[in-house]
Amino acid sequence: MYCVKCGVKLPDGAGACPLCNTPVLYDDGAAREARYSDRYPAEQRHGKFVLLALLTAVMAATGMICLILCLKTYGRASWSGYVLLGLALAWIVAILPAWFRRWHPFIFLSVDIAAICGFLVYVNGVTGGHWFLPFAFPVTLLLGAILLVIVALMRRVRRGRLRLTAVLIICVGLSCMLIELFEHITFGTQMFLWSLYCVSAFGAVGLFLLIASLIPPLRAFLERKFFI
Amino acid sequence: MPKHSRTRTRRWFRLDNAALIFPAIMRRHWNNCFRLSVTLHEDVDPAVLEQAVKALEPRFPTMFVRLRTGFFWYFLEQIREPVRVQPEYAYPLTHMSRSELRKSCLRVLYFRNRIAVEFFHSVTDGTGGLIFVKNLAARYLSIKYGLEIPAEDGVLDPGEAPRPEELRDCFQECAGPRAAGGAEEKVLRLRGTPEPDRFRHLITGVVDTRALLDAAHAQGVSVSAFLAAVMAEAVQRRQAAECPPRKWKPIKITVPVNLRQLYGKDTMRNFALTVNIGFDPRDGEYSLAEICRQMTHQLAAEAVPQKMSAKIAANVNPQRSLALRLAPLPLKTLVMRLVYSARGESGGCLNVSNLGRASVPAVMEPYISRFEFIIGVQYTYPNNCSVLSYGGRTCINMIRSIRESELERLFFSRLVELGVPVEIESNERKD
Repeated sequence: MYCVKCGVKLPDGAGACPLCNTPVLYDDGAAREARYSDRYPAEQRHGKFVLLALLTAVMAATGMICLILCLKTYGRASWSGYVLLGLALAWIVAILPAWFRRWHPFIFLSVDIAAICGFLVYVNGVTGGHWFLPFAFPVTLLLGAILLVIVALMRRVRRGRLRLTAVLIICVGLSCMLIELFEHITFGTQMFLWSLYCVSAFGAVGLFLLIASLIPPLRAFLERKFFI
Repeated sequence: MPKHSRTRTRRWFRLDNAALIFPAIMRRHWNNCFRLSVTLHEDVDPAVLEQAVKALEPRFPTMFVRLRTGFFWYFLEQIREPVRVQPEYAYPLTHMSRSELRKSCLRVLYFRNRIAVEFFHSVTDGTGGLIFVKNLAARYLSIKYGLEIPAEDGVLDPGEAPRPEELRDCFQECAGPRAAGGAEEKVLRLRGTPEPDRFRHLITGVVDTRALLDAAHAQGVSVSAFLAAVMAEAVQRRQAAECPPRKWKPIKITVPVNLRQLYGKDTMRNFALTVNIGFDPRDGEYSLAEICRQMTHQLAAEAVPQKMSAKIAANVNPQRSLALRLAPLPLKTLVMRLVYSARGESGGCLNVSNLGRASVPAVMEPYISRFEFIIGVQYTYPNNCSVLSYGGRTCINMIRSIRESELERLFFSRLVELGVPVEIESNERKD
């Protein structure tokens, strides 16, 4: 059996030429004997787990040392509470997802938002503040929701990502105004003190990207100059 | 001389001059390795193969080694545990990780009637590897069928102790008084769509050795120069199809030269250097006959002891420098990586490595159907080609880490045009 395009002799039972992918139209019905096995090498992931275990142990040891020092000095967990919860937060955000084979964005980001809220509740309780519910909680939820929307859109949308990024940057700028509104309600600060700067900066970047996304030659020039 | 510590039970060996670069440049998913295999007429018995491997350990001490890290240099240390034989993978030359190299620098694999040995390049080169595989096949056949195999055609006496010259780093002895210098011209870089799972496609073209010799002699050149010329022409045809003439770059093929023949040595360590031969399509159109002439003249001009000694000196002199020897290994590794990135692979588009004709003692011939040689892809170029003849048939193995098989198509279909019938085999998977 020969390939009609390349002229090379093909093995019995070949469905197509390995060189040019031209299908073999006249199948001689012969069974093809595989030249190689179907065994694939396993992905080696031990190194990663060792590193993660090491980082976890270092963080746990740091937290424990702080707790013991604090208990010895003050007889109670004062400042070490911040360290312990801060380390736990860092572990949940940075280390926990790395243990898993696949990154599940919605699950991990929801867990991260919950962990941040937990940390803020602790700080609010220890400092005797009243800012968590009217300010920190809605702001955390707002920022978390924005992040989830960005991740969801980036994963789903295949075309027009630059345009999408531009719109998202403008939305982030506008959300700053909302955060300042919560700040105004909770702490009674002056409205539009800083958010206008954010809106103008994010707005300018977003608009530039929006224009670039609409003009292909400009987009090509930017891609050529700034690829990573 | 290899360093031999009597206070410790394990022997250890300095890396030879060519071997120094390979541990330094290996990456997380790539390193330099090659494979030699022998195909029998009957299915391989793994238990017998394991016995044969074990029987070779005293005769080939530099093969059964693992890569170790010293403060100033990498070195090879003999392994105590026997090398286990294992079933083959879906593609040749699956990555040898650092952790694997810390256990053993070679793998012995089997699949149906084929025995394959994959070597990390620091251990030996193709010629040394071929001798090892011949001896492995000889021991396997003598255990399985009780054959009395004479020590000839590369098969060594298993009872004999390794000769000192087999373990020697011959580069140190053959360095010339003057070091060759000067950067080589940058050449075309072949590209394609990489396989995300690092699958290696292998296409084997089996040709009649007589027909190949006739085609090469019709051009008035050797088989190595002929195959390099056909490959260079295929690369140029691909370049012409992919980019306009103003963007063309020179085409050069990297051809390894076995220095054992030039200097009369028979070491089992690395003792080969490469030369880059080719043509510049920007000068005008070249016919195949003209490319063949270019190739053969360049090869003849480069592969002479004087020029090779100068090349060896360029590699050996830094190794002899006291300042460099005193530098800690991480610093050396960094320097070697930088030098290799800048110059290591920039001189050629791909390798065409021809090991020549394999021969075995007559008593082994009825049991062996084929020898094959496969070199892995380089870090910066995705195609490589290796050639080995046995029993009147030549296996031309083209390996690639990319999806596109255009270069293989151009190369093999050109051979067919030149009157060399090609039988194709591959490990293509069904997507």
